Amino acid sequence: MEPSLIELKNVSKTYSTAAGDFAALKNVNLKINAGEFVGIVGKSGAGKSTLLNMINGVDLLTEGEVIVNDGGGGISVHRMTEDQRALWRGRNMGVVYQSFQLLPMLTLVENITLPMDLSENFKPRESRDRAMQLLQMVELEEHADKLPAFISGGQQQRVAIARALANDPAILAADEPTGSLDSLTADHIFEVFEHLVTDQGKTIVMVTHDLGLTSRFSRSIKIVDGELAGEVDSDEPKIDKTIRRRRK
Amino acid sequence: MKTPRTRPTNDTVRNTAASSDAMIQLHGVVKRFSNAAGEFTVLKGVDLAIKRGEFVSIVGKSGSGKSTLLNMVTGIDHPSDGQVVVNGTDIYTGMTESQRSNWRGRNLGIVFQFFQLLPMLTLLENVMLPMDYVDMYDFDERPARAMELLKLVGLEKFANKLPILVSTGQQQLAAIARAMACDPPLLIADEPTGNLDTRSADTIIQLFEHFVSLGKTIVMVTHDPSLTSRTHRNIILSDGELINETIAISLPQLRHRHMLEFTKLVEERMYQPHETIISRNESVGYFFMIRRGEVEVILQDKKKRENVISRLSNGEFFGEMELLRGGKSIANVRAGSGPVEVLALPRADFIRVMNESPITAEAVAKIVQKRLDKHRVADYRSASR
Repeated sequence: MEPSLIELKNVSKTYSTAAGDFAALKNVNLKINAGEFVGIVGKSGAGKSTLLNMINGVDLLTEGEVIVNDGGGGISVHRMTEDQRALWRGRNMGVVYQSFQLLPMLTLVENITLPMDLSENFKPRESRDRAMQLLQMVELEEHADKLPAFISGGQQQRVAIARALANDPAILAADEPTGSLDSLTADHIFEVFEHLVTDQGKTIVMVTHDLGLTSRFSRSIKIVDGELAGEVDSDEPKIDKTIRRRRK
Repeated sequence: MKTPRTRPTNDTVRNTAASSDAMIQLHGVVKRFSNAAGEFTVLKGVDLAIKRGEFVSIVGKSGSGKSTLLNMVTGIDHPSDGQVVVNGTDIYTGMTESQRSNWRGRNLGIVFQFFQLLPMLTLLENVMLPMDYVDMYDFDERPARAMELLKLVGLEKFANKLPILVSTGQQQLAAIARAMACDPPLLIADEPTGNLDTRSADTIIQLFEHFVSLGKTIVMVTHDPSLTSRTHRNIILSDGELINETIAISLPQLRHRHMLEFTKLVEERMYQPHETIISRNESVGYFFMIRRGEVEVILQDKKKRENVISRLSNGEFFGEMELLRGGKSIANVRAGSGPVEVLALPRADFIRVMNESPITAEAVAKIVQKRLDKHRVADYRSASR
């Protein structure tokens, strides 16, 4: 059997505060397969974002191990040095947050080109072409040379997603990416995510506090007080739960 | 009384005229947008000069044109008409978009309400980014310079953290450090504290004050009165037009639309040192606001000796007592030892707006009462009525 794309083994995260230690994650075991669109749901403070930060290596774990099997064998995310992890993240993981974080002084196409220029994965000419393709995917190619201030919040978030995909990562980690958008705009973001999963074989792990969204995921994992509380059933899955890996 | 020299006025136009030391000059800037509902004019011929080293806030209601005005200065948007000169460069004439982008990188730091840090880069890397982008400073120098800036904003401990792991206040501080990366002479900030708690907001304003003390120019759009009180100048936009700053300082309780109305109605008058502005026992036809200089209010005692009972300077007003209470002037008002510039508003317009704006009328009445109490001036008119 092929190993899972992402595997968390006995992951715990404890924060030290003035009031004493606080266990944000308690012995979490989780496997995510390639091509899944996984929702991590739960209340505010339950540990959703902490869990995501363990997977993308943004934050450090206290105990356990996170293994990502992408390409050449398994990588133990937290056993790399900070620099190695940053490099690995830049190439393998796209991140999208609630607030949009586009650079205001760069055009949309320049915002997307930036991660490619930083990683030096692409030649300058290629990176521009690729940025235009990504803008086309999120249906914003006609705005390529505009600055972020001149497009709507929903459009900015689509650009942020395009930027997250710049280095063609296998995994997209999204933390409340629709949190500040109206439902119609949020729906558009979901369409982009669904396209990425079904047509491009990406794996998406998305944190949300909105239980109404569970039907959009191929799998929803509930987290309560730092512990996994099982999977949430959805009545009408929008994506075939048996999506096979189509990644190259 | 001599006929004073009068002319239509707008303080900001005047500043423009003598502006070799100006960091920002807008001349007749018009911005029109077209949409399905038709054409909409957001800026209606704005003239504005901001000097080097000034700390300026721009306020106005939502939709008054504040952000559009900032976008004219940053070169992010284009005016439909008019000219914008920033740090000596006419930014919309003869520059391509990419030249403007490079110019912006070297001359402007920009800070927005939402911080726009790149989530995959550490704070240190985020601060280095503009230096990489416009290729300023030696490659090897950049990390040390970025660290210096992080130290300045108190974040050196977090230099290697990703933005998501620090607080929103700290993210904004890092965004400010990044805005200053290429040591720009001008910092533009759009609601920089809009998303922050009071304490974080205060830290940011202190930081801005520090930059101003180093000679930087800062222009900031804000809704927060606790910030506007700390800037050198407060520019108010109302419906795409600038309000005369002297009016805004003299009558801060007025609604913006009344301030704008006054802006269009006042005439500027200049008086030589010691020149009479109002004579005792004369009917007063104007409400006066002092733009520059000092005026003396003089009463005669029983032996007809002149006593200077009050000296008023910029931001203060006179003539209101006669307008509100009727009758002739009880005092002489004249220019002090230097020249004086005042704005004169016709009596009828002043009375009408006071009737429409009870808050302002009350505030003016309080000042009148205070002046009467302070100088124990018996207002003989009220006794005789």
